Amino acid sequence: MDDLDEMLLELKDTSELMIDLAYSSLLYNNKEIAEEVVLMEEMLDELANDIQRQAIERVVQDRDEGKAFTVIKLAAAVEEISDAAMQIAMVTIRDDEPHPVIRLSIKDADTIITLAEVKQGSDLIGRSLGKMRLASQSGMWIVAVKRGRKYLYGPDKNAVLELGDVVISRGPPDAEKYFQDLCAGEERLEEP
Amino acid sequence: MEKYDLAHATVREMLTEMKDISEIMVDLAYASIMFDSEEIAEEVKNLEEDMEELSKNIRIKAMLSARTHKDANKLSSLLEVAAASRRISNAAGDIVKLIECEVDKRPFLTFILREAEEKIKRLNLTEGSDMVGRRIGDLGVESETGMRIIAIKRGKRWIYDPEEETKLKAGDTLIVRGTDDGYEVLRAYANGEETWPVYPEEEAEED
Repeated sequence: MDDLDEMLLELKDTSELMIDLAYSSLLYNNKEIAEEVVLMEEMLDELANDIQRQAIERVVQDRDEGKAFTVIKLAAAVEEISDAAMQIAMVTIRDDEPHPVIRLSIKDADTIITLAEVKQGSDLIGRSLGKMRLASQSGMWIVAVKRGRKYLYGPDKNAVLELGDVVISRGPPDAEKYFQDLCAGEERLEEP
Repeated sequence: MEKYDLAHATVREMLTEMKDISEIMVDLAYASIMFDSEEIAEEVKNLEEDMEELSKNIRIKAMLSARTHKDANKLSSLLEVAAASRRISNAAGDIVKLIECEVDKRPFLTFILREAEEKIKRLNLTEGSDMVGRRIGDLGVESETGMRIIAIKRGKRWIYDPEEETKLKAGDTLIVRGTDDGYEVLRAYANGEETWPVYPEEEAEED
């Protein structure tokens, strides 16, 4: 994978997370999650610009216009997806109480996505995800971790959480509370 | 994909449908590129048409149901969400068109998609798996493994975005989406290496 491939992958992963977050901001009428989508949108726009610029530079260098064409088309489609996610998030931000039917329409999903900050005293700090067997213990899968301004997508078994990380995870609705309490340090991890 | 009688569908049913279709379309669009499948690409195009129909009908229904200014205000937000879902579906349609680009210029996309955080993969359901003969909803495939079944290939037939009620059969090829870890878990169930977990309260319900 070269730089351009990595960037495209990040673009795709970000756009998908944005859709998930945008719909769940509506479900919970959660403006904080919606604001996160807005931040991601800004980041994604920059990334899409960089990708398109690099693709054009490549054409000048390698004369591989076929790849550049595909890259630019794909980046544009992904940007469109992220704009749509932003449009959804703006409804959450703008409305005090979105139309009740919106919530009902989204609620049908069998998994939900949730955001939680890792706070002082949490059992999750400093140990690898694999060691904690977090997914099977808590029922929630970590989709991404926000560390400072950066997102780490699909952390693997060796990833270690740090104080202040914002963990974005997915799982069944009844697992959400335990997971959030774990992050907040209000609930202990069962030792395997 | 469930077909609604559009003339009688409620706004809620239509919006749920639009959200589901938009998400599945993005998955299928990437899947069509990964597996170089014109069949899947064709399905994406069909869904795009369904989406257009839904989009028109939900607008009509919403307009008819607005009685007051307040109603109209709230419904306009709802229509905005519907419009965003349609936008996602159009973007998925654009992705599928990449499959028509010259084939030798494209393989790098397959390569990239293989590295994505949530991957789209295939797996086969074998005779010995205890998933055979059970409904997707009853198993709770997504909440158990984190993997979503986006399509099933059964013989020559495809089932896209299978319903909760869809029963799995031996020999099915499942197109699934999720993380590597989730895939390994699901694969062990699908080839009969592991038995599907049963929880006490479910057993009680089944009695």
